[in-house]
Amino acid sequence: MKKLSVLAVALLVGAFAGLGQKITWMSTQFVPIAEAEFVRNEILAPFAEATGIEVEFIGAEYAEFVSRVTAEYEAGKGEIAVLCALHGDFVSVLDALADVSGVPVGGTISETLMKLGQMGGKQAYIPLMQATYLMVANKKALEYLPEGADVWALTYDDLLQWAKNIYEATGMQKLGIPAGPKSLLHRFIHGYLYPSFTGYQVLAFDSGAAVKMWEYMKELWQYVNPAAPTWDAMDTPLLSEEVWIAWDHTARVKQALIERPDDFIAIPSPAGPAGRGFITVLAGLGIPATSPDPDAAAKLIEYLTTPEVQVKILQGVGFFPVVAEAAGAVPSGALQILAKGVSAQAASPDAIVSFIPGGISDEYKKIYKDTFFKFVIKGEPVDVEFLRSQATRLRELYLEAGAPYPAPDGS
Amino acid sequence: MNTRLRQVLGTDTFLPYWLLLPTLIFIGIFFLMPLFNAVILAFRSDEGVFTLEYFQRMVGDVRFIEALKYTFFLALTIVPIQVITALAMALLVNAGFRGSRFFLYIFALPLGISDLAAGLIWLSIFTQHGFLNSILYSLGIIDKPIYYISYQNIGLTFLAVVAAEHWRATAIVMVILVAGLQMISKDYLEAAEVLGARGWKKIWYVILPLLKPSLQSALIIRTIFALQTFAVVLALAGDIIPVLAGEAYFWHFFYRNSHIASAYAVLLMVISIGMTWFYLKFLKSRMEVIRG
Repeated sequence: MKKLSVLAVALLVGAFAGLGQKITWMSTQFVPIAEAEFVRNEILAPFAEATGIEVEFIGAEYAEFVSRVTAEYEAGKGEIAVLCALHGDFVSVLDALADVSGVPVGGTISETLMKLGQMGGKQAYIPLMQATYLMVANKKALEYLPEGADVWALTYDDLLQWAKNIYEATGMQKLGIPAGPKSLLHRFIHGYLYPSFTGYQVLAFDSGAAVKMWEYMKELWQYVNPAAPTWDAMDTPLLSEEVWIAWDHTARVKQALIERPDDFIAIPSPAGPAGRGFITVLAGLGIPATSPDPDAAAKLIEYLTTPEVQVKILQGVGFFPVVAEAAGAVPSGALQILAKGVSAQAASPDAIVSFIPGGISDEYKKIYKDTFFKFVIKGEPVDVEFLRSQATRLRELYLEAGAPYPAPDGS
Repeated sequence: MNTRLRQVLGTDTFLPYWLLLPTLIFIGIFFLMPLFNAVILAFRSDEGVFTLEYFQRMVGDVRFIEALKYTFFLALTIVPIQVITALAMALLVNAGFRGSRFFLYIFALPLGISDLAAGLIWLSIFTQHGFLNSILYSLGIIDKPIYYISYQNIGLTFLAVVAAEHWRATAIVMVILVAGLQMISKDYLEAAEVLGARGWKKIWYVILPLLKPSLQSALIIRTIFALQTFAVVLALAGDIIPVLAGEAYFWHFFYRNSHIASAYAVLLMVISIGMTWFYLKFLKSRMEVIRG
């Protein structure tokens, strides 16, 4: 009985101590129960201990997020102190966001990523975490690197020469691009090839630069393992050494690095004539204009962007750090190798960041994949008329949905 | 059955229909309704207007001609091979020597394996570092792996699919034929032997004609399934060999356009009905001919 009352007093004191220092964090990320629990127990509990600020975490779907944030903004008064969402989610509630350019950050965030958060004449959000696609190479492939090529800053010409060197030395096509029915090939085409060669993912679909790109791809394809159209993910072919160099989503190569961390490196995707095109799935942190406690919100943002927390997020939910210091802080193994590659890619000086199209029919994937199928897999000559008709259809999809072209096309 | 119940259900004449009712309800809910919906989806836009747009887009699709070509090519290659093998297997099972029943169980094994799993099993045989290459390499027949599954060698990839489909789906034909063989009265066979027909002659002039009804059912079922082949192709050949059923799947699940997916499904249905009609018309069983 005595013990119970002591406990009750302790609880009451605790509650009062936190009074006025309790904030609400709404997020479209970490929504699955296991992830939400991870955030509450592993991330927010230590934060409350250190700062005395209790954070109530609320997971929300996109629609709920937008309607709630918009409603609070229109009412001129809100309960939500801080937001976490994908880039595209923030675009939908841009007016309701405060400028966060003055908010301190717990580490160094690359200029490329920081700029993506600048919208509507303000810093709309601070990057928190990213997912991306990159290249993984078996260390055996390194001795065939073309002379003068920097493996951390490859060009598409280097890649071609590299794969060619390996082919000439071993007689095997050791380059892997996932081109199976369930692969992420469309991401490679619209987010990597197109931006790297033409600077855009939609606007220059049928341009002269695009014709050159398809010609390049046909040439490169000679050194791609011919089983590529059956591969949905590259981890297995990397492990079986059917390929030595592969491109894929981090989650789809991770298993290879977990099983044999000493044999692989993760490196940035190559650069083309226009720059180094790559996709970032970027989630960030914002503060609503109606936040009841912007100071506590800023403290939370600073905490979430410290290298230690960034590493925790990577281990807990698999999203990669945006803070440069974090890559080195990841314990050795698969995640560290990947984090190093992701970090190097995001920090590339010639970066062209692409976003995944949102709000339009998934048919856009087919347009990119079909073009690839026709020119590259079936080997038909690059046909400008066909490119033009595909481009028309692609623009129609955006028009029908009233959706803006994603970066790097739109702004 | 008591009289009261008999009155409720009608006379004995109606009993068979009552017994059929559960099956009819099942077919109605799980086959006819989706079929009806698919046809509507294929011809009606979201705004409720009748349109041929989805069929036009299907036919205009980059992969359509390829898919149509490979679907037919696959069915026309696989069905004859399967029927011949299944016939041989059925005759063996039915031969009546000691242990011949044992083969029935061996042959029927692949029936228990899902088509996707079967595709994956064969994939592990045909990949670059698969069983086939390993065996050939260890025997010294090849000095570097052969790419069996390769967009550069569609012929070999196609053969791999045929092999996998042949292994997986021949047993169902065999089961139908074994049942057919067992229905043939011993009297005919004995009569044939008395009259001097043995071996091939007996098979060709006595067994095959009497087996025609079973062959017909087996052909219809196998051809329809062959036209729908999809999981094995998907697992083994990925995007190298497009087929109609696969395109329907991609349109529905990847590109989320149920209208075009339904157009593919309707096309497959029309082809299946056409093939069935063809078999019914040109493979009339001898019995019907005699009766007619």
